[in-house]
Amino acid sequence: MTTTTTRRAFGLALLCATLATALPPLAGAAGSSTAKAPRAERIPRLANGKPDFSGIWQTTSAADYDLEPHATRKDAPPGPGIVEGDAIPYLPKALEQRRKNFEARNSADPRLKCFTLGVPRGIYYPEPFQIFQRERDLTLLFQFGHSVRTIHTNGTDHPKVPNDWWLGDSRARWEGDTLVVDAKHFNDETWLDRAGNFHSDALHVVERWRYLDANTIEYKATLDDPQVYSRPWTLGVLLHRHREKNFQLIENYCYTLDYDPHYPPKP
Amino acid sequence: MTHENHRRPRSAALAVGLLAILPVLAAAQQAAPRTPPTRGIFIEKSFPAIESGKWSGPRLADGQPDVQGHWSNTVGNHNNWTDPQGGIPGDPQTRNRKLGPRAERAPSRVSDPADGQVPFQPWAKAAQEDFLAHFFNPTEPKYIEPLARCAPGGVPKSFIWHGYEIRQFPGYVVFLFNSGTRVIHLDGKPHLPAAIKLWNADSRGHWEGNTLVVDVTNNNGKALFGRTGEFASENAHIEERYIFSADGTRYNYVARITDPTVYTRPWTATIPAVRYTAKDAPDGWHFETTLANHPKGEVIVERDERICVENNGGFGNVATGTPAR
Repeated sequence: MTTTTTRRAFGLALLCATLATALPPLAGAAGSSTAKAPRAERIPRLANGKPDFSGIWQTTSAADYDLEPHATRKDAPPGPGIVEGDAIPYLPKALEQRRKNFEARNSADPRLKCFTLGVPRGIYYPEPFQIFQRERDLTLLFQFGHSVRTIHTNGTDHPKVPNDWWLGDSRARWEGDTLVVDAKHFNDETWLDRAGNFHSDALHVVERWRYLDANTIEYKATLDDPQVYSRPWTLGVLLHRHREKNFQLIENYCYTLDYDPHYPPKP
Repeated sequence: MTHENHRRPRSAALAVGLLAILPVLAAAQQAAPRTPPTRGIFIEKSFPAIESGKWSGPRLADGQPDVQGHWSNTVGNHNNWTDPQGGIPGDPQTRNRKLGPRAERAPSRVSDPADGQVPFQPWAKAAQEDFLAHFFNPTEPKYIEPLARCAPGGVPKSFIWHGYEIRQFPGYVVFLFNSGTRVIHLDGKPHLPAAIKLWNADSRGHWEGNTLVVDVTNNNGKALFGRTGEFASENAHIEERYIFSADGTRYNYVARITDPTVYTRPWTATIPAVRYTAKDAPDGWHFETTLANHPKGEVIVERDERICVENNGGFGNVATGTPAR
């Protein structure tokens, strides 16, 4: 590619990027401006044809207050729950732990310390997160704590010498237009919501991400943890694209709030 | 890792690109003879100037120069802003260790004014000296360097705190630092409202040939520049130029910093950085990565998650593939 053509391409790319702010690119519409493309094709796609989930996303559900169905409480709006079958299938001992967590929820929830939310909680936490996507990976930047999760889509496997990570290790493959993520190697420090639902470091999450339309992602996660649950169970939320003009994440390093008034020196 | 690893052209094709900066390099060597490299955090005592100009290297599909990958500064960490290899003044561990002549160490990160000092107003100079005087005996919270509490490194300190990764996307350049994450917006949207002040500020950028030009506002000024206590206020305006060499192996960060609350005049900071690739060995500071588990043995460098406050560690605990328990 010559310098001249690359320059032209860059200019065009900038123009496209500007347009993309207002309207996500509709890959199926290219070259057929009037004919309505089949629904499945009218979603943003990468150059390699895979769905492009780039954008800023957020759920409107009350999932983070309690994954299970609940009437209103002083510390939570009501919600129908997002668990298939309504109840998380806890082992008896784990159910007792969940009860203790619930009683202590207004002091023991790791979110109150602004700790990394973990998987899948970061996805349905009521603050936006941004997906940046390349062919090789998806970078998820969460406004809360500004933490970063990478989902690898380059054919790599889980590491042979794993750690216990806060966000686990995520390896994904495509099933048609659905991104299927296998995430494991978690620690046991994170909660699933504000109601004390939890997991151990044996947690294994399989996520399924797919577009319902160009501005809506259907997100499902199946959680398996033989130390805590009697069987695998599944939760699901819809994620909506933020389309407000000039919308962007605003970093939320909330763990600095207790000491940040001490800086910088003042005249 | 040896110093030579950083300098060796990665391939014959890259060597062609290197020729383009050779005249500049030669000039720099004349001005400050290259001294034998030291290991560890201090790699270089001098570094080449890089001219802004056209970009002839690889580009991404959206036209941006491809500078993705792993980078780190070459002259020192945040121990000392104006004497990067001079240690922390008053350090009990090195108080009796004699430093050689100043000219034998890397130059100040303050490249303008020529004396290498931040042009502080008198009150601000006194505040900086007060911070440094209490650094080893922090009798009040304000004397604790915020990075030691896991705060984001901010602008510009993040560039001298461990290696970091640059990822690029249509409309964005994203910096994944050891402490904090910074998004440069390339789509021309306006800055955030002035009432919002942030550790990593708010960044609007565009490419001019080999140079990423970034306008930085909304800085909360809280991150400080290093253990010597230099600082800006929330009124700082920073104009950054990331000038990449033709062969893509290094860049110089050149930032014009204006803040009438703190300084008597605008001044310029310069920080050199080099690129790391799979050919370099991880060294626990500049290049903290692992190789991916690829079934066909493809060599892919990966960055582990960065966790700090959760582990209650003072200086950014990093998971490096060692089992946690």
